Amino acid sequence: MSANDRSREIGEFTAAPDDDMIVCRCEEVTKGEIRRAIHDGMFNAHEVRRFLRCGMGLCQGQTCARLVKAIVARELGVSQGELEDATGRAPARPIEMRIFASERGRDE
Amino acid sequence: MTRYDLIVVGAGPSGLSAAAEAAANGLKVAVFDENARPGGQLFKQIHKFFGSKEHKAKLRGYDIGTELLKEAQEQGVEVYLNAVVAGLYADKEIVVRLGEKVAHFKGDTVIIATGASENMLTFEGWTLPGVMGAGAAQTMMNINRVKPGERVLMLGSGNVGLVVGFQLLQAGCELVALVDAAPRVGGYGVHAAKVARTGVPFYLSHTIVKAEGTDRVTGVTIGEVDSKWQVIPGSEKRFDVDTICIAVGLSSSTQLLKMAGCELAERAAGAGYLPVCSDVGETSISGLYAAGDVSGIEEASSAMLEGRIAGISAAGKLGFAAQEAVTARLATLTTALEALHEGMFAPKNRGKSVDKTEEGYDVSTNLLKKGYLADEEITKYPGVKSVSGIHPVIECTQNIPCNPCQDSCPKKCITVGGNIVTLPVFDEKAGCIGCGQCIAACSGQAIFLVNEDIGDGLAAVTIPSEFLPLPEKGERGAALDRAGNVIGTAEVTDVKSVKSFDHTNLVTFTVPKELGMRARFWRKGAAI
Amino acid sequence: MSNVSDVIVIGAGIIGNATAYFLTKKGLKVTVLEKSEYIGNGGSSRNGGGVRQSGRHPAELPLVMYGVKNYWPTLSEELGTDVEYYQEGNLRLGKTPEHIKTLEGLTNSAAAGGLDVRMIDYDEARAICPYLSDEVIGASWCPTDGHANPLLATLAYYRAARRNGARFISGAEVVEIKKVAGRARKVVTTDGVYEADAIVLTAGLESNRILESVGLRVPMNPALLECLVTEDSPPLFYQMLGTAMADFYGHQSKHGSFVFGGTTGFEPYTTLGKTPPATSSSAPGTCRGIIKYFPILKDLKIVRTWAGWMDDCMDHIPVIDAPEEVPGLVIGCGFSGHGFGISPTAAVILSQLAVGENTVLDISKFKYDRFKVRT
Repeated sequence: MSANDRSREIGEFTAAPDDDMIVCRCEEVTKGEIRRAIHDGMFNAHEVRRFLRCGMGLCQGQTCARLVKAIVARELGVSQGELEDATGRAPARPIEMRIFASERGRDE
Repeated sequence: MTRYDLIVVGAGPSGLSAAAEAAANGLKVAVFDENARPGGQLFKQIHKFFGSKEHKAKLRGYDIGTELLKEAQEQGVEVYLNAVVAGLYADKEIVVRLGEKVAHFKGDTVIIATGASENMLTFEGWTLPGVMGAGAAQTMMNINRVKPGERVLMLGSGNVGLVVGFQLLQAGCELVALVDAAPRVGGYGVHAAKVARTGVPFYLSHTIVKAEGTDRVTGVTIGEVDSKWQVIPGSEKRFDVDTICIAVGLSSSTQLLKMAGCELAERAAGAGYLPVCSDVGETSISGLYAAGDVSGIEEASSAMLEGRIAGISAAGKLGFAAQEAVTARLATLTTALEALHEGMFAPKNRGKSVDKTEEGYDVSTNLLKKGYLADEEITKYPGVKSVSGIHPVIECTQNIPCNPCQDSCPKKCITVGGNIVTLPVFDEKAGCIGCGQCIAACSGQAIFLVNEDIGDGLAAVTIPSEFLPLPEKGERGAALDRAGNVIGTAEVTDVKSVKSFDHTNLVTFTVPKELGMRARFWRKGAAI
Repeated sequence: MSNVSDVIVIGAGIIGNATAYFLTKKGLKVTVLEKSEYIGNGGSSRNGGGVRQSGRHPAELPLVMYGVKNYWPTLSEELGTDVEYYQEGNLRLGKTPEHIKTLEGLTNSAAAGGLDVRMIDYDEARAICPYLSDEVIGASWCPTDGHANPLLATLAYYRAARRNGARFISGAEVVEIKKVAGRARKVVTTDGVYEADAIVLTAGLESNRILESVGLRVPMNPALLECLVTEDSPPLFYQMLGTAMADFYGHQSKHGSFVFGGTTGFEPYTTLGKTPPATSSSAPGTCRGIIKYFPILKDLKIVRTWAGWMDDCMDHIPVIDAPEEVPGLVIGCGFSGHGFGISPTAAVILSQLAVGENTVLDISKFKYDRFKVRT
């Protein structure tokens, strides 16, 4: 664990030509939105995810988690290794409520 | 709640190996896999594997899968398919989706062998249909028998990019370019060479600038990158393609381990967060193991050994196997695994550039930059000697863990030696009889039989061929050199398809004498 | 940068962030210290998002009513972030006469506190939410209840406070509070010592570990809270939902997904560890509950489940106080799993306590000394 001063200087947000590029396909979050959120104080992929929903869609960040982390690292000027991974939560794959509700061996 | 001695999640190479190993020691074992078929990536792997006999070298992935599945079944392993493990909870309990229900199971030990998923890369147009992971393209071709596209660009020169690139060619796709942002080919030179000799251009230090298209990919632009990975203006090149394959690495599928609360850490820069494991794959949670790609990206041969190591360890932990037996078995398995970790592609060398082989030969920079060895370089290596009569030409120039060529030669012409990564040496005195076993045994398709002078100003060259349809005897086509350039006309004089060659066909053609040490591919049609 | 500020807030959950926000609005120099690497990583990011007045403890009712009147409807505008607040009412559903009796009890008590809440029959409930199962026989209805997105609200307060100049330091674990000449003044962390004229402690369950250093203790225990979220669905209904049995509660979010919380009965028997452990039995039970009341949702896919710890206080209401025993210290903890809805009000009061102002509401029910053994 390392102290992270959220008031430290990370430079102004400057628009980039690829800001319109979609990074999270499930929730349609763009690179520009992610970069802007970082400059708004979301200094790690968890906060970016909670702020923008990237990685919260059907695939639960299986594709974009790594991409978002790379953007955060680059924007903050830190190595990706300094940023913790996305959490793992059940279900590993989306499951319909009716299926979750019917447990094998339970009286119907 | 159903309880097992061991629950394995993932029926790929490591999971099935773990299950078979544990069940052979008397454990009641269940394996859960979300797919309809077991085997994980093995059944997609139509190429021959590297390694030695103990690693099932020179067998094709799908045959290894079949063998492994049979072994697991014979040992009484219960395999649940279409079984999505939704969560791993306290006390090693899993919740599994089985059909229209969920079920709870507990294991006294659990081995997570969930493998990995493909990394993606973003560029303008990356979300267009037609941009796909190389692994996805491989599944389409080799499992679903669907051609991913007609004209394909492959990004990534690691083994996945090279192997899938070759398989795209086998499936009848045109591979317009093989591109990598790195300045050197990342995968085995032999994999690169077999792609390059078909005429596929390699663009190292290049990346994708953009994919074009409205509803799907219709073209792609690549550009050369500078030392800071920025595209150099003016270096752009454009290709008409309908498919872009991305092979930029894999990420371990660690979700279940994270759910369980295992400790994860970044072991090496850029390697991503991986479970912190003991020598036998046990995580920070006692009795919970990780094996195969989920514990760090390697390849299927290592995954199988890691699975067995975890399997026998679980057997020892639960008292099914005596400690001495476990120790002995672990020693064997560890030695085999260590052999795979030797050579210039060893995990410890990742990210480093190795310039000399262990024997002191220079590694060909052509091979690393263009995917093929230059004509003048080839004779520097110990597997290549220009002698009279028929003889093998072993174009194996990097230290990789592989030795089936040595065992294949009935005349003992080829020696790798005790160190599995040593370059094969051709002994011209042993007396090659031209049987061709070495060609079929070489998983890298890097061995050729050449008779540099058969009279009439001709040389005879025998190459491995895994392209269908095979040429006809007497058919004239183009001779291609290692770079894939047409260098002359070649007439097929023999086509050998023998069961023991296991689908590697031996095509012999004649070329003008001076091309005997240069011609390495035969293409249908005129030599233009 | 100097480590001396006017006020230190310990804990960057929604209460701490909102307190910091109100303090910066007073023009004060504020430092917020957070143990986790992440802002709002505790209950603030793990709750069901209810901004609910009905079903509240009578003591908390004025706090939440004040917030619903003065803060929630304008919060998105004020903070410059859409916190996805919906004021579409709360339906608390019953399927049996016993359920109805429970609902009537809750309704009467809330109505006595001045809340607009009443019992309605199946037809009226069905007119409000046409997707109810016909097993429902009645409900309590509070039209001014609602819900918001707790992830966004927590980060919105953080963002606004940070913009106003509050200094947030994450990954700084507080080791102890030190008094200087009889007044709480220094905060020793794993990242150095910080100093301020007042210290506001809003660290949830962690508060007791810190309070120990000044000889205080709030009687609270960890209790697990488990939630799940579905894939997005076209808009169906935006009421906050609950049941008489409290077997589940939840709502549809602006995004289209449904967020539900559920209970198993095992919540108080959790073991504290690094991460709150989701249990294997929670999601199936919650899904069964939901489907019985809302059969239309049965094919929606669950994409994620999670758990959090609540700081469950002995009497299930928080401590919001500047205890006389330790001048300079303000405590806001023990929110017992219903802190989200009252967070703006609680925070404004904490900010007032920190600077010695009169509070907007009476806090006598939340005083620390209520736990003193009476003699």
